[in-house]
Amino acid sequence: MSYLKALNLRQAVALLRGNPGRIRVVAGATDLSLQEMPQVALDITALPETTGLETADGFFSLGAALTHSEIANSHPVRHKATALTEACASIGSPQIRNVGTLGGNVINAAPAADAAVALVALGAGAVMINLEGKTREEAVEDLYAGFNQTIIDSGSEIMLKLVIRPCAANEGSSFERFASRKALALPMVNGAARVEVVDGFFRSVRLVLAPINPAPTRLLNLEEKLQGAPVTEETYKKIETEAAAEVEVRASLLRCTAQYRSHLIGVLAARVVRKAAERALERK
Amino acid sequence: MPKDLETLTREKKVETDFQSSEVWAKVAGKAVYGIDLILPGMLYGKILRSPHPHARIKSIDTSAAESISGVRTVITAENFSCKPYGIVVDDELPLACGRVRYIGDEVAAVAAVDWKTAEEAAKAIKVEYEVLPSVFKPEEALAEGSPQLHEDFPGNVAWQRDLERGDADAAFGDADLVVESAFSIPAIHAAYLEPIACVAVNDNYTGLTLHTALQSPDSVRTIVAKVLEMPLSRVRVVGPVMGGGFGGKVYGNLNLYIISSMLAIKTGSPVKMLLTREEEFIAGRPMIAAEIKLKMALCRDGTILARESDIITDNGAYSAQAPWVSKTISERNDSVYRIPNIKTRVRLVYTNKVPTGQYRSYGNQAANFATESLIDMAAKKLGIDPLQLRLLNCTRKGDLTVHGLQIKSCALADCLQAAADEIGWEKKIRGRGYGLSAAIHANGSIVFDKNFRGASALARLELDGRVTIFTGEQDYGQGAHTAFTIIAARALGLPPGLVTIQSRDTLISPFSLGALAMRQTTIGGRAVQLAAEKLREKIEITAVEAGSESTGLREGAVNGSSANLIDLAALARYYHGKTSGLNLVGEGKYVPEESDYDESGYGNISVTYSFAAHAAEVEIDRTTGELTLHRIVAVHDSGRIINLLSAIGQVYGGVTQGLGMSCYEGYLFEAGRVANSTFADYKIPTSLDVPVIDYQFVERGDPEGPYGSKGLGEIVMVPVLGAIANAVADAAGDWVTDLPITAEKIYQLMAGWECE
Ligand SMILES: Cc1cc2nc3c(=O)[nH]c(=O)nc-3n(C[C@H](O)[C@H](O)[C@H](O)COP(=O)(O)OP(=O)(O)OC[C@H]3O[C@@H](n4cnc5c(N)ncnc54)[C@H](O)[C@@H]3O)c2cc1C
Repeated sequence: MSYLKALNLRQAVALLRGNPGRIRVVAGATDLSLQEMPQVALDITALPETTGLETADGFFSLGAALTHSEIANSHPVRHKATALTEACASIGSPQIRNVGTLGGNVINAAPAADAAVALVALGAGAVMINLEGKTREEAVEDLYAGFNQTIIDSGSEIMLKLVIRPCAANEGSSFERFASRKALALPMVNGAARVEVVDGFFRSVRLVLAPINPAPTRLLNLEEKLQGAPVTEETYKKIETEAAAEVEVRASLLRCTAQYRSHLIGVLAARVVRKAAERALERK
Repeated sequence: MPKDLETLTREKKVETDFQSSEVWAKVAGKAVYGIDLILPGMLYGKILRSPHPHARIKSIDTSAAESISGVRTVITAENFSCKPYGIVVDDELPLACGRVRYIGDEVAAVAAVDWKTAEEAAKAIKVEYEVLPSVFKPEEALAEGSPQLHEDFPGNVAWQRDLERGDADAAFGDADLVVESAFSIPAIHAAYLEPIACVAVNDNYTGLTLHTALQSPDSVRTIVAKVLEMPLSRVRVVGPVMGGGFGGKVYGNLNLYIISSMLAIKTGSPVKMLLTREEEFIAGRPMIAAEIKLKMALCRDGTILARESDIITDNGAYSAQAPWVSKTISERNDSVYRIPNIKTRVRLVYTNKVPTGQYRSYGNQAANFATESLIDMAAKKLGIDPLQLRLLNCTRKGDLTVHGLQIKSCALADCLQAAADEIGWEKKIRGRGYGLSAAIHANGSIVFDKNFRGASALARLELDGRVTIFTGEQDYGQGAHTAFTIIAARALGLPPGLVTIQSRDTLISPFSLGALAMRQTTIGGRAVQLAAEKLREKIEITAVEAGSESTGLREGAVNGSSANLIDLAALARYYHGKTSGLNLVGEGKYVPEESDYDESGYGNISVTYSFAAHAAEVEIDRTTGELTLHRIVAVHDSGRIINLLSAIGQVYGGVTQGLGMSCYEGYLFEAGRVANSTFADYKIPTSLDVPVIDYQFVERGDPEGPYGSKGLGEIVMVPVLGAIANAVADAAGDWVTDLPITAEKIYQLMAGWECE
């Protein structure tokens, strides 16, 4: 195996082009090293394009190779994309958070990948560059192609960054997970929400839960019903019952029964919407 | 930074803060563990394991493996006699003879020049199997017509015991209240960080040497010698530093030692073997799973009249130490309280799963979960405060318990009261749950081998005036050597810095039973004390004989710096010259009185007993069942504490393991396959999951242990389980009766769900 660390984007793309079929992009390798390392690993964690954290044209632009620790420690992200901060801070352990990256979390496509769940709730987009040096942008929620699979071919494409519209003054977001211990445990259920509140009513809600499908799952019916719903206890109760009813979940010997998971989905759905709404109201 | 001995001596903190130098080597990352060992010319051994839970081996073809370059030898059952061996029950074989009984059973092994070649070669061995029907549940294994695992054990019962003391049936007839419940405990791995590893070296001149860290090296070499049909004096164990044992390395993995020895014998080269973490889980020796049915009879005032238990323990395919664990599970908790009538049935049952063994406290902790939950169930039904119910019934100093245990010292009632006071029993916070639990644990066994009840040690004055203590008792992190150092120094009247403990080589250390059953400080330490006292006596006599004017030994002055103190180095040299090469030596033998232990297992089993009471404070999130542990209070009667720092370490570690077993751990199986064979899936608590742990030691002393001390290492884990179970029940309104107590089970209980 050879391990190449690209120092600039042009070099990275050239290396991809020059090693068809044997090369694969690698970031923190916390997932890849447990699977199979490619013949040629192309480390993209030293590129300015994948490690920036800035606000441009009113959007957060987060380098795909930023580590979970870097995201979790970012003040602007904490302030205006709180769900992502909470998600990144909950991943694995300090060691994993110090090397695992945002892009890797999305592309590895584990059904309950914490950062990915928050990104989908926040409505994030992902920007990729291909062998011709052309970039394209896709919504994160549209990247999934099946269990542990995305439409990104890490042998011929590099994810450069994730873009998120920061929460406005009447918006808030939140992430929560439920696991069998406080660290180093994949969640039984995780969920995230982004809401916009106007005059005591939800103007819009994005609500995502996992693991339900191979991709983080938006509860589209419930999102729609919540449009215009009042920010009240009754609404939270309704979220709890309807979230669980909207999706079907599987049991896992290692984690929990389907019945309990379904119950947790309701509880977490209500919790993240409530917390996100509280944040939206606090900010004003 | 650790304080050096001189500073500790000056500050008079040796007995609280001193730690043996090995501790600092570990902290600095300099300790050499078994898994680190490399010897010149060393080969690497790998085992081919059965992929089937139960199958007949039709043929084994090793030719492809043998022809791989770098492979030195391949062995199968043909290299051994097919005579089963065992620790308690003879049912194990180093390599399967015609039949495999669990996924992971050893079928063949190879030695090669590196790990990769060895692994490749193991895979290249061709085995033809005829799959046999298997059985995974003990209840099914007991049923008529179920697959039989061992010809010698019809009905799949490896060991069983029916026991009656007093007249339980009559007592149940007279009772005002009968409470009953069933409890289930999964198999638990000791989860030491260093997987079992060894290097076997054989040469025709010195015999076989196993470099491996064991809690009980002499017991292991006795078995290895027997299986390999070698004279005992030709089998030696040399121990590197141990990376955690917790009972799992009393006997470690005997098949691994025997296989690596055979590979070393066959190749004439040192052979290193180790269990990968996955192998630890699938082919290690976790503590047996147990199904415990309990019934207890009480008077209206809370007096316990009788207890009846029906226990089935899940042996897996082979027995290892499981009979002893089953015995402790079935019996030890009967002596926590004054229970006059006992009726017990315990059966150890074979299934086609990983063979089992022991874990810190030999199952006492598993039984504590059941018996202490039942105490609280009774208290609730009677409307009596659980603390008062315990105080009313608890064993006290001077008691002769229902099984004949002689209680020479016991501060259990004080421990209970102190634990309750500290947790805030009288000022409980609303919305939180509180639970108590009590425990007893033996300090070594005087009936395990009636002819070998104690321990011995040797204290030798070195030519430079230092003292070496030779003991076969092992320090594997629990601080035994720190305790021995302090004990020897006290007995000699010398500073601890002059004392070195030597225990890691069976060739030069006295034979011992090793670090199990809380023997070390009490039994081993007593022998050390006696040896040191003997040496001191000899030093004083020799000093007179040598015409020395000074006859005293005192801390800090060994080189004759003070006028009336003996110059130990000069004295050692004097004796050395006079005898043409001998050292002054003190032999210490601690031989406890013989026990009245009878055929039925009635009688005193140990020189003394330690006691403890724990209290837990918890909170439950009612929407999810999520459990928050606020605090565990651990109050112990371990006699006088020899070294406070080590004792506190034991409490922290033991409580954490108790918490792990209570709330997180446990084997999961899918058709005989271990479903959680990694640390990602077999969940032990992380540092974030550990609550505040408060400790107290009620130091009343003891007539037997050295300087009034008693054991602590195992009992620290025991009461945690009952305390947490009862605290959860206090908060949730009912008991979770199958471990681990997860959020899901708590929620199911509160929501009244039928389990899926
Ligand atoms: C012990 C442990 C605990 C964990 N706990 C959690 C947890 O609690 N929650 C959770 O969500 N995850 C967890 N993970 C999974 C993992 O750490 C995360 O998914 C992490 O974010 C992956 O990032 P990485 O940089 O290490 O990815 P890598 O392993 O480097 O890559 C993962 C995949 O993405 C591709 N890839 C990476 N970056 C790019 C890029 N910029 N462009 C194109 N392709 C790319 C790689 O080719 C590979 O296919 C855990 C992992 C371990 C080992």
